[in-house]
Amino acid sequence: MSLIERLGTFGDAKVWYDNIPLESEYTVGIAGERFLRAIKDRGVILGTVCPACDLTYVPPSMYCERCFTQLDEWVELPAKGTVYTFTIVTRSLDGQALDEPEILAFVKLPGAHGGLVHRLTTAKPEDVEIGMEVEVVFKPQKEREGSILDIKGFKPT
Amino acid sequence: MRRTAAIVGVGYSGFRSISPDLSYKEMMYEAAAKAYEDAGVDPQRDIESFVSVAEDFNEGTSIFDEYVPDQIGGALKPVHTIPGDGIHGLIAAYMQLLTGAMDIVMVEAHSKASNALTLSDVMAYAMEPIYNRPLGANPHFIAGMEMNRYLHSTGTTEEQCAQVVVKNRGNGFLNPSAAHGARVDLEMVLSSETVFYPLKKLEISSHADGAVVMVLASGEVAEELTSLPIWIRGVGWCNETPSLETRDWEGATYARKSAEMAYGMAGIRHPWQEIDFAEIDDTYAYKELQHMEALNLCRKGEAGHLVQEGATELDGAFPVNPSGGTLGVGHLLDASGLGRALEVVLQLRGEAGERQLGEVETGLAFGWRGVPTTSGAAVVLSV
Repeated sequence: MSLIERLGTFGDAKVWYDNIPLESEYTVGIAGERFLRAIKDRGVILGTVCPACDLTYVPPSMYCERCFTQLDEWVELPAKGTVYTFTIVTRSLDGQALDEPEILAFVKLPGAHGGLVHRLTTAKPEDVEIGMEVEVVFKPQKEREGSILDIKGFKPT
Repeated sequence: MRRTAAIVGVGYSGFRSISPDLSYKEMMYEAAAKAYEDAGVDPQRDIESFVSVAEDFNEGTSIFDEYVPDQIGGALKPVHTIPGDGIHGLIAAYMQLLTGAMDIVMVEAHSKASNALTLSDVMAYAMEPIYNRPLGANPHFIAGMEMNRYLHSTGTTEEQCAQVVVKNRGNGFLNPSAAHGARVDLEMVLSSETVFYPLKKLEISSHADGAVVMVLASGEVAEELTSLPIWIRGVGWCNETPSLETRDWEGATYARKSAEMAYGMAGIRHPWQEIDFAEIDDTYAYKELQHMEALNLCRKGEAGHLVQEGATELDGAFPVNPSGGTLGVGHLLDASGLGRALEVVLQLRGEAGERQLGEVETGLAFGWRGVPTTSGAAVVLSV
């Protein structure tokens, strides 16, 4: 058993092209609804607390990923934090060079186990460092739509 | 007492950056035919169960498992397909043998990456949809952020990460089946464009096409089939949280826990002494170092020094990725981890050609599912 014949010329190496449009909706859920609504209506960041593990989840979750308990304690967190790590993105989704590099960071919020992954705005790449203090920049309230993009990003404090 | 099981046959097709001459089915057929000949088995007569590893989006076909049986000789037989890394598939096949219900099982994984015209979109569609995906960022950014934190927390240098590329593409140069083997020097890697700071262009593995098949058999059957069974001594796998916001950005916990499980099963306490070499996921150069530390092959912050001193070269104290790894062989999508395990088998059998290591009796293979996952799987193999 094996393949005893192969294509010999490029002209014979045919392909059939196809594509399929994919569209989905993603239900944000109980915790997501409350989190995104608080950003939209009040410009505040909410988290849920697991008292047993002493962890505060941001973005909030209805259950603790460590101990599996259902969470119902909500807290408001300061809309600021510390850059835990960052990168400078020079490529678009399809690999093309971006006109302007974008800084993306994971920002840990004080008192939270988690934080937010978002853009760092108004910062020069060469000035960014791990440990830098930053604050959330919300869009003007009338432009907010109830998504994570109601946050423009973080800026250095 | 736990049943024993061994790998009794391997076959592969590829690996090449493109493969216009063969359909994915023909690549799978070729790999399977070689593996069955190697094991001396007939699929219809001897193989009792078939495990394939594939992910619909990578294949461009929904319900892809429907398209698996015929080209591996599995029609009219028990066949199932799992998404995951190839080593997850190897473990699934192994567990079927452990049940006692089966004596000969096969596992297959493949990549036809060159047919997937929008692979970066497939990767982007793996991002968490509500909090992360709306940012519209190329998912390699996660590797950039993780590398940055890894360097920060361990003191590992950019030069040490770049040295992994020099080593692995150089090893690939000695591997006729590696798609991306090359002689590169440190300066070339360091001066390649920083695309996702601090990650450089040459530190990101490129895809390759190919298929890998292994035939596994339970202890006594394995010894009847071959004079050189490669014994599965331990397996382990682990998923950390998928959440970017709560995961461990420094230490690859999924790798640490996969290894703890596999070492526990294999009775290995001092992996550096008891294991001779390893094939470890190096989808991004820093990942080889981070994974080495997580797999307890050295202490945190030590892997960079080891690669710099040459300890992980082919002639070093503990060779890592003698095949060339993912950087040298090419990233095989869902087959990447099985490609790592393939090299461990070839090395243990003494069939690795120019890159053959000296006296080796035990090897480790570790696969990672890539960004944005924290999904890993490990296997310890011995002669």
